[in-house]
Amino acid sequence: MGQASVADNAIIAGRRTSEGAMSGGTTSTVTPAAIVAKKALASSFRRRGIMVALFSGLCYGFYTAFMTLGMSKGVWLQWYGENSGLSSFAVLYLLGALGAATTDTCSALWAIGIANVRGRFGDFTRCIKTKPGMVMVTAAIIGGPMASTAYVVGLQMAGSLVVPIAALCPAVGAILGRVWFKQELNSRMMMGIVICFIASFMIGSTGLGDNVPDNLMLGLFFGFVAAVCWGIEGCVCGYGTSMIDPEIGITIRQVTAGISNLFILVPVFGMIAHVNAFGMVVQSFTDPEAIIWFALAGLSAYGAFMYWYKGNAMCGAPLGMSCNGTFSFWGPFCCWIVLGVVFGIDGWVIPPIAWVAAVVMVIGIFIIAMNPMDLFRKSNEEVA
Amino acid sequence: MMALNYAILKMFTKIEEGSVDTVIESLKDHYGTFKAFNKKEIINALMTAEANGLLEESRFELDASNELKVYYRAHEEGAATINKYIKG
Repeated sequence: MGQASVADNAIIAGRRTSEGAMSGGTTSTVTPAAIVAKKALASSFRRRGIMVALFSGLCYGFYTAFMTLGMSKGVWLQWYGENSGLSSFAVLYLLGALGAATTDTCSALWAIGIANVRGRFGDFTRCIKTKPGMVMVTAAIIGGPMASTAYVVGLQMAGSLVVPIAALCPAVGAILGRVWFKQELNSRMMMGIVICFIASFMIGSTGLGDNVPDNLMLGLFFGFVAAVCWGIEGCVCGYGTSMIDPEIGITIRQVTAGISNLFILVPVFGMIAHVNAFGMVVQSFTDPEAIIWFALAGLSAYGAFMYWYKGNAMCGAPLGMSCNGTFSFWGPFCCWIVLGVVFGIDGWVIPPIAWVAAVVMVIGIFIIAMNPMDLFRKSNEEVA
Repeated sequence: MMALNYAILKMFTKIEEGSVDTVIESLKDHYGTFKAFNKKEIINALMTAEANGLLEESRFELDASNELKVYYRAHEEGAATINKYIKG
């Protein structure tokens, strides 16, 4: 629903009440002051929704940076080293899944702790066994281990070109939101989504060098699988948080993702790679140099997904997911700040095109959020 | 006992219309001790439900203390969706 239409609804509702009052249908009348207050409430709700969704993208950036940092410390240096004894399969898939499992489990612990402190843990246990709770569990499996694995595998196969492909998730979410939940999706919003996709492509294109990866198409396919999975998760869980409190929703999500990564994905990859996955899990959680960064990554992941769900619920999937999609920029940006600036690790400087892409992305989000022509109309009204 | 948000939505399938004050009055006996049982959180839950088509705004007014009071109702489709997902 656009800003103008929210305001229009307020006025229409006001008129409806005034007419009702005149015809004796209701005893209350709507004063101009009430209309102003209602407009302010509606626009403040929408503004907060956009801020929440944008903040989710920033949290996603820190989640990426801290997880990458954790995976470059302590025992992880040994595992990624030449003499680790791990096969290339284990390095590619098992370590990726183990990093995600450690982060998601830390995030689940944060979510449970925060839910306890904020008095929501009781509602978490009440919700998880209900129909909306189970829908969120299913969506969390689709968006958690399934999407994450597809994304990591895609990245390994096709490099950073997978980033813009995965950034198609707002388009997928918007289309599904339209079909399943009758959310608004018009040509202007689609144009904004396309602009955001172009911005993500500009960022991903920086990974295009002379050496095109051998498995490029397969890698892009996995990136698309991730986009579809995240699109499903974003639109289903965004709608789900209209019934379930977002703080409870994120606890369901992270507990599901942590358990399924830790007890399904990692053991399966461990068996295929013929390594002692249990021992590696224990090492991953007890390495003092690395776990602190995974704990921070888990906290950032809590914010990334909780605010993603909340933003989608407040703004609708097209706008909420596009604001969250700024992670295409925030990811490299936070990696540059944390890994490059703070820790002085080479290779994390942001290329100039990414800054341009960030501006393009803001324009895309702006076009999804509102019709630019409304600005001119408003100015004309003020002049009149 | 169901989750607070479920109870709020379910309540609207049983009444004609209601505001945040109606919710507080109706549910305070069971949920009064919940940390999330406050005006700000409940207004947020109601507006989110409205944004997702579960509830619709029926009217609004300024009350005696000049505070905006928005009334919501569950339309037929919204009530059907709430009853489909939330039993009890």
